[in-house]
Amino acid sequence: MTTHTPHDIKTYRQRLRHALDNAFLRQTLDTFAAAYRESRAKAFEGIDLESLIDDIARRKASALPRLEELFAQFKARAEAAGAVVHSAKTAQEANELIAAIARENGVRKIIKSKSMTAEETFLNAHLERHGFHVTETDLGEWIIQLRREGPSHMVLPAIHLSRHQVAELFEKVTGEKQNPDDIEQMVKVARRTLRRAYLEADMGISGANFAVAESGTLGLVTNEGNGRLVTTLPRVHVALVGYDKLVPDLETALTILKALPRNATGQIISTYVTWITGAVPCDASLSGRKILHIIFLDNGRLQLAKDPVFSQALQCVRCGACANVCPIYRLVGGHNYGHVYIGAIGLILTAFYHGTENARALVMNCLNCQSCKAVCPAGIDLPYLIKNAVRHVLDQEGRRPIKNVVLAKVLKDRKLFHFLLRRASLVQKPLAGKAPLIRHLPLFFDKAHGFRSLPVIQAVPLRDRWERLQPQVSDPAMRVTLFGGCLTDFVYPEQAEAALPILADHGVAVDYPMAQTCCGLPALMAAEKETARDVALQNVRAVDVDQTDWILTLCASCGSHMKENYPKLLGDDPVWGQRVRAFAEKVIDFSSFLKDVLKVSSDAFMPSHEKTAYHAPCHLCRGLKVVEAPRDLLKTAGLDYVPSRDEDVCCGFGGSYSLEFPEISAELLKRKLDAVESAGARMLVTDCPGCVLQLRGGADKQARSFRVCHIAEAVARAYRGKTDEALKFL
Amino acid sequence: MNDQDLVELMSGKAQAVQTVVRLCAHWDEVVTYTLDLTASQGGSSVAPWGLPDQARDRLIQGAAHKGLRVLDPPFRRHLEQIHTALTPVDWGVAETGTLVLDSTSEDLRLATMLSETHVAVLPKERLRRSSFDVAEAMKAWHMDPPRYVAFISGASRTADIERVLTIGVHGPQHLHLLILKEADA
Repeated sequence: MTTHTPHDIKTYRQRLRHALDNAFLRQTLDTFAAAYRESRAKAFEGIDLESLIDDIARRKASALPRLEELFAQFKARAEAAGAVVHSAKTAQEANELIAAIARENGVRKIIKSKSMTAEETFLNAHLERHGFHVTETDLGEWIIQLRREGPSHMVLPAIHLSRHQVAELFEKVTGEKQNPDDIEQMVKVARRTLRRAYLEADMGISGANFAVAESGTLGLVTNEGNGRLVTTLPRVHVALVGYDKLVPDLETALTILKALPRNATGQIISTYVTWITGAVPCDASLSGRKILHIIFLDNGRLQLAKDPVFSQALQCVRCGACANVCPIYRLVGGHNYGHVYIGAIGLILTAFYHGTENARALVMNCLNCQSCKAVCPAGIDLPYLIKNAVRHVLDQEGRRPIKNVVLAKVLKDRKLFHFLLRRASLVQKPLAGKAPLIRHLPLFFDKAHGFRSLPVIQAVPLRDRWERLQPQVSDPAMRVTLFGGCLTDFVYPEQAEAALPILADHGVAVDYPMAQTCCGLPALMAAEKETARDVALQNVRAVDVDQTDWILTLCASCGSHMKENYPKLLGDDPVWGQRVRAFAEKVIDFSSFLKDVLKVSSDAFMPSHEKTAYHAPCHLCRGLKVVEAPRDLLKTAGLDYVPSRDEDVCCGFGGSYSLEFPEISAELLKRKLDAVESAGARMLVTDCPGCVLQLRGGADKQARSFRVCHIAEAVARAYRGKTDEALKFL
Repeated sequence: MNDQDLVELMSGKAQAVQTVVRLCAHWDEVVTYTLDLTASQGGSSVAPWGLPDQARDRLIQGAAHKGLRVLDPPFRRHLEQIHTALTPVDWGVAETGTLVLDSTSEDLRLATMLSETHVAVLPKERLRRSSFDVAEAMKAWHMDPPRYVAFISGASRTADIERVLTIGVHGPQHLHLLILKEADA
C-alpha cells in the first residue's frame, strides 16, 4: 500500500490542484454528499439525536481514564474463555506479534476483514514482507489492495474509483472480459474469487468496533458478511483492536450501535453485527476450538487518553461522517484529505499516530466551518481539536512561523493593531483609487489569490464615527453593547450604521466600548491560544457586563467564537471565569436580536419582493445554531426568500484559510455563486462580514448578476419605521 | 406495543432491507415453504440446523419427494454445497428488522454464512421491540462463553462500487424470515 502525504504546503497545494481537475471524483463526492445528507436524516427520524450524542459522548469520555482497567477486565474475561489477549505498545510491535502468531501456527494464507487499525499499522505490508499471502475480503478493500492503494474513505474505501476502473482491474485479475455497467456481475466475480480465499486460508484477521470489558466480548459491525467468514472459516483468528474501542458494558456498545450505522451509511443497522466471546468451536483446529488472539494497540492512545484536550479524539467511533460532510473532502477526496485516517478526525490523529511530518501540511487544511462537529455522533469538537493539533505540530517541531509571532504581538496590543489597520488604509489607496474594491492584487501575491476582489479598509472606521453615529435614545427599553469585530469596524462600518435606526426606533440604547478589539478567533485559528485568551480578556474587560442586556454582533464568526470559545478559553479562570461566562451568555446575532428580542413586525417594512437568496454562515447556523431567524427576518422585511442549493455549505472564506489554500477557497466560492445564480436571485444576503467579503469579492470578479449584502443592510433598506418619529432616520 | 404491532413493525423493517417475510401457522408450513423455495431457485440442498425432530423428519421426507438433498452436520464437509440454510432464530428485534442467533455452534454458523438462501424461523413470542430488550439475554450468553452471537438484518450487501447497492456479496443472497405463530405445533 502506498501513502504519500505531502510534507509541505506547496507540494500539498499542487496535489490539491490536481485533485480539483478530477471530474469523476467531484461528481461522485457531490452525489454522495447530497445522498448522505438525506439518508442520514431519514435514518435518525424519531430519535432524539442530541440526547443520543450526549449519551455516547459521556459514555466514551468516562471510559477513557479507565482504559487500562477496562483492558485488564477484558483480558481476564476473554482469557478465561480461551482467548489470548496481548497489548502492543507500537504499530511495529503489533505487526510483529501478528506475524509471530502466524508463524507459530504454521499459517501461509491469511484473509482479512476491513480494519482501520490494521491500515494504521500498515499490517499487510509487514505480513507480505514476511512471506505471508494476505487477501482483503471487504470488496472495497480488496479492490484497493489489488491496486496497491490506501482507502479514500473509512467506510467506503474505494469511493474514488469508477465502475470502469473496477472492471479493468477485474479483467486483469480474472482474465475474463467484464461489463462495467453490470455491477451485480462484478460483485459476483468478487464473491466467487474470494470464496476460494476463505476456504484456503489458515488465519483470519479482523478489527473490532467494540471490546466489551465486562464479558471480554468483541463486537464487529459489517455489511458484506465477510467479517463473519473471516472469523469462522480459518482455524486462527487474530483481532487487532485500538485501546479506544474498549467500552465497559454491552449497553454502551448497543448505544453506540444505535448511532454508528445511521451516521455512517444512513442504515438503521448494518446487515451483520457479530459478538464474539472467547474461543468458539472450530472443526478446522486440532483442539476443536478456534485459536483466538486479541491484540490491543496502544500506539499513543494511552498517552492521548490522559491529555485534557486531545483525549476527546478517542471518542471517535469511526463512522466516517466527518468526511462525508466536509466541503474540502467533497472537492479533493480522501487520498488528499488524510494520511491513513480520513476526514476531520484524520487531520487530528495523523499527528499522533503517523508523525508530525505527515500532519504538517494536512492539518492546515480546515476551514473551521463546523460541519464535522455538527454531524459527529460522539460529540467531538473536531475543528477545535484540529486547531489544537496545528499547535501541537508546531510545538513538536519547535517551529513558530513568523506570521504567528507577528499576529500574536500585534493582536495583543490593540493600539498597535488599530494603528496598523489605519496605515493599511493609506497604503492600499493607490490600488483601489476611489473604488470600494481592490480588483488587482499587488505583485507579491500569488496569482491564485486573484479569484476575488478585496474590499478596502475604511479611512474612518466605525469607532471614529461613533460619536456622530450613536443614537440618542431617551428612556431606553434596553441597553445593548455593539461588538464590532475587525471587519465591521474597519472594513464595513456601513453594515453597523444600517442597523442603528432600527435599534433606536425600538428603544434600544447602544454602546460601543472603545477598548474592544479583535474577537481573537484569528489567533485561535493560527493556533495562538495564549493570544486568543489575552484578546478575549481584553474584550470581556471592555464591556460592563452587568450594565448591558445584550452583546450584539453583526459578525457570526465573532459571535460564535465569543459564545462558545471564550468559556473554553477562560471559563475556568479563578478571577475572570464567572464574568466570561456571563459575557458569553449575552452574545447575540443580529437576526435573532431582531426576530426574538425586538420581535420586529412586517408592518415596519416596505415589501419589495426582491428575489433574495441566503447564505448561512458556518458560524451562525452551526456555531450559534441560528437557522430560522435570518430566513424569517428576510420574509418579515418583505423580501422574497428563494432557497438555493447547499445554503449551509461554507463559502470558502475561513479567514486566513482563503490565503493558505486559495484554490479550494475559490472553488467553494464559485459553487456558492453558481447556486445563487441558478436560484434566480437578484440579491444574496448573509449575516457575517467575512462571508460578505468572500461572496461580494467573488461576485464582483465574476460579474455575477446579483448583489451581495449583509442582512442588516438588506433589512434596513426595507425599513420604513415603527413610528412617524423614526422616519427621520431614513 | 401489542404483538400484532410488533409483527407489523418487524415485517416492515425487515422488508425494507430486502428480507422476505411470511407468517407461518406451524412447522409443516415452514418445511413446505423451504422446499418449494429451494426448488424454485434451482437449489439442490437444504442444511437444517436446530429444527424440532418432527419438522426435521418432514423435511427429509419432503426433500426426497422433490429430489433435494438434506445435508447432515458437520457442515465443514459440505462447505461448497449448501444452497438453503434452515434455522430457528432466538430473538427478533422489530425496530431494526434484526434476527438474533446464538451462533456458537460452528454448524449453525457455516450454514447461515455459506448458503445462498437463509430461511430463518422466528417464533412470534420471541419478538422484542429494541436491542435493549434483548440485552439481558445477550449478557447471559456472553457471561457463559464461548459464544458467537449474530445480529442479521437482511441479505449480505455492499455499495463499494460506485455506491450502487448490490445484494449478496459474501453472505446469503436471500434472507427469508418466517414468523411462526405456534412454536410448538
